[in-house]
Amino acid sequence: MELLNNLGINGSLLLAQLINFGILLFVLYKFAFGPVLKMLEDRTKKIEKGLKDAEASHKKLAEISEKESAVLVEARVQAQEIIKKAEDMAVTQAQSIVLTAREQTEKMLAVAQKQIEQEKEKILTEVKLEVAGLVVMATEKIIHEKLDSTKDKELISQIIK
Amino acid sequence: MEISLAPEIIFHMGHFPITNSLLMTLIVSGIIIIASIVLRRNLTLVPKGFQNIVEYVVEAFLGLIDSVTQNKEQTKKFFPFVVTIFIFVILSNWIELVPGLGTVGINEVKDGHTILVPFIRSASADLNVTLAIALISVFTAQFMGIAAIGLARYSGKFFVNPFRKPYFIGTFVGILEIISEGAKIISFSFRLFGNIFAGEVLLIVMLNLVPYLVPVPFLLLELFVGFVQALVFAMLTLVFFKMAVTAHDH
Repeated sequence: MELLNNLGINGSLLLAQLINFGILLFVLYKFAFGPVLKMLEDRTKKIEKGLKDAEASHKKLAEISEKESAVLVEARVQAQEIIKKAEDMAVTQAQSIVLTAREQTEKMLAVAQKQIEQEKEKILTEVKLEVAGLVVMATEKIIHEKLDSTKDKELISQIIK
Repeated sequence: MEISLAPEIIFHMGHFPITNSLLMTLIVSGIIIIASIVLRRNLTLVPKGFQNIVEYVVEAFLGLIDSVTQNKEQTKKFFPFVVTIFIFVILSNWIELVPGLGTVGINEVKDGHTILVPFIRSASADLNVTLAIALISVFTAQFMGIAAIGLARYSGKFFVNPFRKPYFIGTFVGILEIISEGAKIISFSFRLFGNIFAGEVLLIVMLNLVPYLVPVPFLLLELFVGFVQALVFAMLTLVFFKMAVTAHDH
């Protein structure tokens, strides 16, 4: 005890220091270490999540751009197909138009020719009739005598022919 | 100039002696508690200012303790003890650097001549303080050992049956283990006390011999010693904890 006294060790002081340190330990644990450690852990988690998210979005972006290029290629192919189809259609349509036009002209030509023919014939017959009348009149005048009208006509037509 | 191994009593509160080192302990504890409450209030996910410093220290210690324990669970369990000891001890050590050491105090008449009773005395320059922390450290190690590997296996480290292999050698080693636990308390408390008390005496002597400039390198030295002693105390505690929770194979 003498030694302890000389060293300044005192039971009540020692106890006070023990309790003091215990309180300090408790307070630090409760107010400083617990929250700080939790905060550090939270932050680590958050950063990890952020990194993971970034990676995921990177992947998704790559996927999307890949899809985009695929879509573009497909669109180009489709466009080319459509153009080709349109061209084909245009060609066939042009051909058919030309064809029908030719047909129509031919038809029209035929009709016109027929009409011309008919007209010609009609005119010819009219002319013949007129000529016949004229000849009748002329002969009447010349012979002053009227033959039997039917006989006369026959005669004239024979002559004209 | 009077240098006393025991802390000087400033006044009595009833029968309870209020010593200068007890006063310093309370001040240091108060500072730590206030700082931790301030920290708790301003804790944010994006660190700023004071929180940055604390986080830096905490992460450094986490890494250090992890490297010793190699186990996340144990790190979490040891961390509060080790870091509290470090913070408390380093601040207690650094009190001696505060201007006024050995000079500011009250004069008291003792044994016929007046002596100065200084207000400032490192808390670590009081065996009561160092012994208290050493006791807490060593006893906590025992409890942790029992909690981790069970009372029977833990006490098997100290009490070995002399009639089984390796017979009396094992028993003797067990007794040595018990003694070493006691020696830990003594070495813990006297190492810290000796270093800081000696530093304080050195500073007071230097201040009395050459008041200007000369004490400065010694102040820097004591700054370093205070840090090293706090680190040694914390690291030894950590190692003892680790040894206690590791199963002993015979």
